[in-house]
Amino acid sequence: MSALDLPLREQAAQIDTGELDPGELLDSCLARIEERNPDLNAVVATFPDESRRMLAEAPKGPLYGVPVLIKDEWPLPWRAETVGAASVPGVHLEPGESGPYRTLRDAGAVIAGVANMHELGSSSTGNASVYGPTHNPWNLERCPGGSSSGPAAAVAGGLVAGAVGADGLGSIRYPAAYCGLTGIKPTFGRSAMEGHHIPNTVTIVSGPLCRDAADCRLLASVLFGEELRSGEAGALRIGVVRDPYWVDCTEPVREACETALEALRGAVGGEVIEVELPDQELIVPAAVLIAQSEEAGRLTPANLNALSPELGVINRGVLKLRGIVPGTLTARAFAARTRIRRGLAELFDQVDTLAWPTIPGVAPPLLEPNMELPSGTTSSDAACARQGVLANLTGIPGISVPVGLDDGLPIGLQLLGPWGSDARLLDAAEALERATDREFVELRPAALA
Amino acid sequence: MEAGSAFQRYLDGALETLGIEADETERMVMAGVWELYRPGLEALRDADLDEVEPELHANLSQAPPR
Repeated sequence: MSALDLPLREQAAQIDTGELDPGELLDSCLARIEERNPDLNAVVATFPDESRRMLAEAPKGPLYGVPVLIKDEWPLPWRAETVGAASVPGVHLEPGESGPYRTLRDAGAVIAGVANMHELGSSSTGNASVYGPTHNPWNLERCPGGSSSGPAAAVAGGLVAGAVGADGLGSIRYPAAYCGLTGIKPTFGRSAMEGHHIPNTVTIVSGPLCRDAADCRLLASVLFGEELRSGEAGALRIGVVRDPYWVDCTEPVREACETALEALRGAVGGEVIEVELPDQELIVPAAVLIAQSEEAGRLTPANLNALSPELGVINRGVLKLRGIVPGTLTARAFAARTRIRRGLAELFDQVDTLAWPTIPGVAPPLLEPNMELPSGTTSSDAACARQGVLANLTGIPGISVPVGLDDGLPIGLQLLGPWGSDARLLDAAEALERATDREFVELRPAALA
Repeated sequence: MEAGSAFQRYLDGALETLGIEADETERMVMAGVWELYRPGLEALRDADLDEVEPELHANLSQAPPR
């Protein structure tokens, strides 16, 4: 087994004890990207000289010498981000020291490359980018998830043990679930975000995608700039909202998540409580409208009329639609968010965590990203948004943990917790891994086994 | 907010009023996306939110004050 296949924490530990040479690890990482990336299209840029310079200058931090990837959503001192697009309306992107870059550098990590993403971060699929679609290592014809498509496919494909993604409307958790990884969307504002092209965002956060919760804890601690200490999950009051989050899923997804949830409850004690969400029907429209409003100031007629023809037609249409959305709806979205946040705070008096499937079905085909659900055939974007956007709307953290397979494709269970409960969610995720004998975090795509 | 031809009229009028150019394919995308989210947007339009007291200086990293 290559050292690249070790967990992130084990790579760091072996470098620390001298068992592993970080220069050799970087070389094998770059060689593996060269070998496997043509199939995956997970990595859009490597820069061996800059990576080696980072290693030469790396401080002896918690990730000293460990190669990682960063999503194409942040600038690096030697490369401007592209956000997976030919251009970003109204924004001039430049190289620079972004927050995630700075935290990785200060932790001693080595950025081995930049990971692909869905064009402008606008989809849960990962099937469109100026660099071409990313492919799911579990099945190259399937979506890897988005918008953090490259980070997920790269970690699942064994190119690196950890990658930094971003989650604005579920963009870490969907690809984590589609690719059989663990991914955490931190509490809003806790992880490094400086240098992002939407500096006023109230929905987007940086976060890790790794093979398991312990690696996520390590990489999240770096992004947070504080150690997320591990502890016992303890007895959990687990809130479930059956309809539609459990009811409108494929049967294999529902069964795998039910089994995992029961295993977790059995392992830590506590109880599963059926609850209702406040203003449930307003969550998706409010989240979508608030997220789109963050960039709306740049969507002037002049900028919209100058959209690059290289931008995908779906994004061109969506951006122009954003330019004509009635402002009263957006104002009402903020009012709805207020009431939903207050209701959620009261709900978290009754439960410690909320749980439902991260994705209602497994990764859909790249060419036709629809899902067959009990409610009918629907776009996977709409189906995923329903499961994921509550965390972004309200600021709470959420984590996706692999809990099964359907037709050879991974299934993820999502746990959501109150504001600031990131470490506790990681504790719960680790308890869930133990309760399932780590069966699903140890699985690898057949092509890599 | 209405579906179908009413939205088409709104779309045509808004684009023309604001001076935003859109080709037929882009207009089809806009109509499709609007239709996808229309039920939620109508729920938001119709929700009784008048009594919601604003969350001043909302801090999304914390629970709202109670």
